[in-house]
Amino acid sequence: MNTLTAFTYETYWMGLRTTRRFFRVPSNWLSIIFFPLIQLLVFSQLYKDIVQLPAFGHQSYLAYLAPGQIVFASFLAVGWSGYGMLVEYRNGYLDKLRASPIARSSILAAEMVPLFFEAALMAAVLLVVSLLLGASLVTGVGGALLILAMSGLFGIAFAGVSFIAALLTKSEQAASALSLLMFPVVFISTAFVPRAVMPGWMQGVNDWNPVTFQIEAIRRLMLVGYDWPAIGKAVLSLLIVGAVLQTGTLLAFRRLAR
Amino acid sequence: MSTGLHIPGPDVDAARAERESVIEVRDLVKVYGRDTRALDGISFDVGHGELFGLLGPNGAGKTTTIRILATLLRPTSGLARVAGFDVAAHAHDVRERLGLAMQTPTLDAFSTGRETLELAGRLHRLSAARLRRRADELLELMGLSSVADKLTGTYSGGMKRRLDLASALMHRPPLLILDEPTEGLDPQSRTALWEELERIGAQGTTMVLTTHYMEEADRLCSRLAIVDNGRIVVEGGPQELKETVGADSVVLQLEASDGAADDRVGAVCRRLEGLVPCEAVGEHPAGVVLAVPNASAAVPQLMRRVDGDGLRITGLQMSQPSLDDVFLKYTGRHIREEAADQPIVMWG
Repeated sequence: MNTLTAFTYETYWMGLRTTRRFFRVPSNWLSIIFFPLIQLLVFSQLYKDIVQLPAFGHQSYLAYLAPGQIVFASFLAVGWSGYGMLVEYRNGYLDKLRASPIARSSILAAEMVPLFFEAALMAAVLLVVSLLLGASLVTGVGGALLILAMSGLFGIAFAGVSFIAALLTKSEQAASALSLLMFPVVFISTAFVPRAVMPGWMQGVNDWNPVTFQIEAIRRLMLVGYDWPAIGKAVLSLLIVGAVLQTGTLLAFRRLAR
Repeated sequence: MSTGLHIPGPDVDAARAERESVIEVRDLVKVYGRDTRALDGISFDVGHGELFGLLGPNGAGKTTTIRILATLLRPTSGLARVAGFDVAAHAHDVRERLGLAMQTPTLDAFSTGRETLELAGRLHRLSAARLRRRADELLELMGLSSVADKLTGTYSGGMKRRLDLASALMHRPPLLILDEPTEGLDPQSRTALWEELERIGAQGTTMVLTTHYMEEADRLCSRLAIVDNGRIVVEGGPQELKETVGADSVVLQLEASDGAADDRVGAVCRRLEGLVPCEAVGEHPAGVVLAVPNASAAVPQLMRRVDGDGLRITGLQMSQPSLDDVFLKYTGRHIREEAADQPIVMWG
């Protein structure tokens, strides 16, 4: 077996294991979709008249909220993803893998690759529920697939936050705390209100917020059509964020599991 | 636990194995930080089919040695070879030939027993057909067939350990490394695991284990090295090592009315003149204690000489030196300072 085949083989079978680990604990994925679902359901009713603000620019608050909650779901899907590895470092399972005749990189890949699918799946749940509640998806199936692919990419890009926190601090509390720092990034985005309605300083922040780029691209896909510049911007920012955070993760992992 | 199922032994080229040591360790040193010498120049060899033990107190360096052999830790200096491959330069080759079972079972709580074994097999490149068959065999052998499809998180401590051992055996490794294999197990599980390890050893698998339980080293190991403070203090077979202590211990229980302790020692000493030197007679709360080589042969004569004429023997206790006595002889300390594992002997 050559190196690439070996890597793929190892990542596949170990990836199945980490995927099972995720789905076999219902509280994992239930708690991931719970918060965005609640926000979607409750805020769309509670704040529905917000669309009447002059600069708002949309008719339905539900339709406006949906993209933000889809992104929120993919974000939460990976928010604590570093935990699993930390637990396995602690209980010696990681040592067992390290003593096996496999590439060290496939150990990390087996954690990351499933996250793409988990993030996409959680996003899919939110997408479907939004559509059931009346949101529209003008780009149809093609747009849906693109949204899910982008959500998967978003997951992999941001998983690094959790992994770096967990692997560097080796502490669940610290990892939690550091992951929570990501929440303001999401809340400050255009998930809840358009840029036009925000105070000046928030508008400035959102010129650089990859979460906002992602939300806007998805919003366009749902409400308008294939806005390739917006999609391109989102994907590019995710690739940059992903490259930085995954490199950090790789370094932290190497330090932990030489 | 086992139905007497025969499973093939390790995957080894027999002719080559006869010639080479499975493990070669020379002057192995491991330093942590600036000055913590966990290993201070350890050397030993393990031959094909041996059951080699590293016995010593916690912190002696046993686990460090094991982790270096298992390619989990890099030595600071020195040489370690497994099946002819250097652990640092050819770690991958070592890992292919190694089965590892650490102190606490290393399992993924959310995989089933069968999934655990199959993954272990896959990571060692077993074909799909062999995988299934081998997993079934091992599950049967370890008595886990009925819980094979349950999550390992639901297993008891003993079951986890057996599954851990099974997963180390999936690829029929020539070498099995075990770190404190029965730590924390109840006596029955411990004995059952010892039987299992003996069976595995009998099939030709070379085994290295670390332990701080004398009984374990005594029972399982064909050869052992006593480790203390990062060094090997003495090495040899269990019986051979115990014989170096030189003498068995015989306690003669005497009636209390026979006088004060030192009088008793003196009295017994006089009576045993020519048979046992006076230095070998010591005080004991119940009477006197004698250090006598090959006590079981000497006892009848001892009793004839001592008993009678003012001294009355009311009981006798004989014990051969234990590995703890060996440890005491070479290091001046007991293996376990708390002596929590010492047998409780009732005196008169």
